Amino acid sequence: MTLISTRPGPGAARPYRFPQVVRRGVAGGQLVAAHLPGQSLAVALLLLDAGAGRESPGREGLGAVLAKALEEGTAQRDATSYALAIEALGTELVAGLDWDSFQVSVQAPVDRLPAAVELLAEAVRTPRLEPDDVRRVRDDEATAQRMDWANPGPRADAALRADLFGVENRWGRPLYGDPETVAALEVEDIRIFHSEWFLRPGTLIVVGDLERLDLDALAATAFAGTGGGAVDRGGPVQLTPRQGRKIILVDRPGSVQSTLRLGHPSPHRAHPDHVPMRLAGTVLGGAFTSRLNHLIREVRGYTYGIRGDFVSSRRFGRFAVSSGVQTAVTAPALVEAVSEITRTQQTGVTEPELAVARSWLAGQLSVELQTPRAIAAALTTLVVHDLPDDYHARLRTALLAAEVEEVSAAAAAHLHPEELTLVVEGDAALIQAELAATGLGEVSTSTR
Amino acid sequence: MPDSGFPWPIETTRLDNGLRVVVSEDRTAPAVAVNLWYDIGSRHEPEGQTGFAHLFEHLMFEGSTNVAKTEHMKLVQGCGGSLNATTNPDRTNYFETVPAEHLELALWLEADRMGGLVPALTQETLDNQRDVVKNERRQRYENVPYGDAWLRLLPLLYPPGHPYHHATIGSMADLNAADLPTFQAFHSAYYAPNNAVLTVVGDTSADEVFALAEKYFGAIPARSEIPAAPDGQHVPGSGVATTESVVTEVPAPRVYVAHRTHPFGTAGYDVTSVLATVLGSGRGSRLYQRLADGERIAQPDLVGAYGVDLAYAPAPLIATATARPGVSAERLAAGLGEVVDELATVPVTAAELDRAKALLSTAWWRQMSTVEGRADTLGRYATQFGDPRRAAERLPAWLAVTAEQIAAVAAEVLAPADRVTLTYLPEESS
Repeated sequence: MTLISTRPGPGAARPYRFPQVVRRGVAGGQLVAAHLPGQSLAVALLLLDAGAGRESPGREGLGAVLAKALEEGTAQRDATSYALAIEALGTELVAGLDWDSFQVSVQAPVDRLPAAVELLAEAVRTPRLEPDDVRRVRDDEATAQRMDWANPGPRADAALRADLFGVENRWGRPLYGDPETVAALEVEDIRIFHSEWFLRPGTLIVVGDLERLDLDALAATAFAGTGGGAVDRGGPVQLTPRQGRKIILVDRPGSVQSTLRLGHPSPHRAHPDHVPMRLAGTVLGGAFTSRLNHLIREVRGYTYGIRGDFVSSRRFGRFAVSSGVQTAVTAPALVEAVSEITRTQQTGVTEPELAVARSWLAGQLSVELQTPRAIAAALTTLVVHDLPDDYHARLRTALLAAEVEEVSAAAAAHLHPEELTLVVEGDAALIQAELAATGLGEVSTSTR
Repeated sequence: MPDSGFPWPIETTRLDNGLRVVVSEDRTAPAVAVNLWYDIGSRHEPEGQTGFAHLFEHLMFEGSTNVAKTEHMKLVQGCGGSLNATTNPDRTNYFETVPAEHLELALWLEADRMGGLVPALTQETLDNQRDVVKNERRQRYENVPYGDAWLRLLPLLYPPGHPYHHATIGSMADLNAADLPTFQAFHSAYYAPNNAVLTVVGDTSADEVFALAEKYFGAIPARSEIPAAPDGQHVPGSGVATTESVVTEVPAPRVYVAHRTHPFGTAGYDVTSVLATVLGSGRGSRLYQRLADGERIAQPDLVGAYGVDLAYAPAPLIATATARPGVSAERLAAGLGEVVDELATVPVTAAELDRAKALLSTAWWRQMSTVEGRADTLGRYATQFGDPRRAAERLPAWLAVTAEQIAAVAAEVLAPADRVTLTYLPEESS
């Protein structure tokens, strides 16, 4: 035998360090920075309290349109000049939003970051928002969404979200809206949203070799000409628990796969069970070796992959499982996925599974937090969720200390297999009867 | 202008069995990236065995002599690591990034599947992973609009028998026909220490890695004859533009224009990389300015151009645009073709060139900002050019490209007579 049969144990553990965090108020706004010595690239990210949660129901997609309209010319230059100026620095303006925040960022070689931040501030604070440009960007975004919605997934996601949170609420509608709501936006909607939320200072996050950067100057650039204070962000949304499981079928004639989205509401981000819930989600559907992926992919061969997790924002959360399975095995895949969720809720997790989940999530902190962008995202988490500077070190400790009992208790408390909404996007003519025969719940057809 | 794109140490050795080992120490973060490039890609696959190299990549996670089925993933994730593998026409690549104290575990796992996969390979595993790969084909290529564009472009660009003629994912028929002995023979033929490069980057030293490599890989025997892929360096141009139209369920007309350029790693391909950035990267690019902003015939999010970094034949340059509502495929194709043609006739300005070089510099340093990005790069240069130190040449080579070179390469390889045009049309407009 030429191979060594004994598996090696670990060497001495290296200390885990999250970069030193700098926080201070500058020029009316907040500055949060982290030092990455020797990095060639640096990131500046402006965080605004202008996430999708600030949009009114019926106006969803507004932030997505505004994100693109920012680059259609500024008080100082037209769209083409702006593109050439920022790309000549080797960077591009990255603008996007989630439920809790709107983020605009640039990544550039350290010596070019100050000029990039000037252009960032110019686009965020002084976009032209000419009516014709805004209408064109809106129409392009509606077209882009129609393209996206031709893929499997978005319709199923929307059906799940509407059923979990109620289509009358903003959080019951898609994060970026849908092709129809985007097309219906008016120029004034965009301009008013900008004046309401984009002229407050917000928080500037800077990550890079801080010895080569003047933080106060960067912050002064980012916050110039701003005013207005923080606005109350609202507490966790109250949901009325629903009884009974149901199947929602989204027809996709001719589909060779069925897209599965199974889910139910779960606690918001600040819930005290956040860590044990995340670990339970990892055992069930997070890691490659999770119960769901092992059974549905590795044992049955029904899919290329299946994932499940708890995801939370400031005001709400959801547990969801997603996959694409071959059409012919849609019903058995659904039955087996629900059965794994039920088993996890009823019997909890085992120590060997938890050991993998625990050290995977803890180790990922060392492995993933290498780049300026990754550290900037971690700082964003601190700001959005009001967490302390040593949060990541504490998180690592909490993950490693989690016991089987508390993770099993979190699975028991926060998984609700009897209240799952099971959305299936596939060829209805081929799968409808089989889905009804599973007995998993009443089958209805989505009109989306 | 930097004189090097790789300002970190590089140390190399070669074990007696031919395994090349590359180490780049960096103590910044307590993590190490382990990366194995095997010189086996879909270009090596004979007729009737398309998709084998990629299916093999899946089988490599299913257990080996001392590693039980599913244990590989469990051990790497269970120590906090990230892992994956990819297959392309040129090569198969396996990689994991782990907290530094688990380096030895990662090397043990890689050695065990290099030297001990065949005894663990069962019919059940083969059948299961064949199903998974067929699901991957459905999910990534068949069930999404335009998903099969790459599968269609390759045979239009490269003639039958050329190593890049068929796509890496392979055909369902070949995958169905694969039997266990064929797979065992495939591993025996290509998964040899003298057909691989092991690269380790991060919180470790060359001495440590060389000693561990000898300990775990040293006794795996070399193979004397590793079958070469067919030579594809010279692709005779047909002299006739090739077009293909597909009427299918897509939401809007889309056009791909593709050309064979130069192999990755050559001076001609460096020019092509800068040219592609001028043409189709960012809002300041020619395609965006002309088709998305100027004439407004293309959807702004879906216009672009890129080279595919393949090293053993003239690599493809692909430009693509998707029609805005009311714009016909003919008009879009004409507009796209015109912008590509002008690369040879309308000189690239200093501002266009600076913009492209600035974007490429940032992209390069982004790849270098992680230990796994650096490990992959060193493995590539060691495998394809025999020396990982040549990675340092790429960025300076891009930065030295001139407008005249771009015009010359455009005239040489982007002629309309050598063009492949693939058009997707929605069903209702036919």
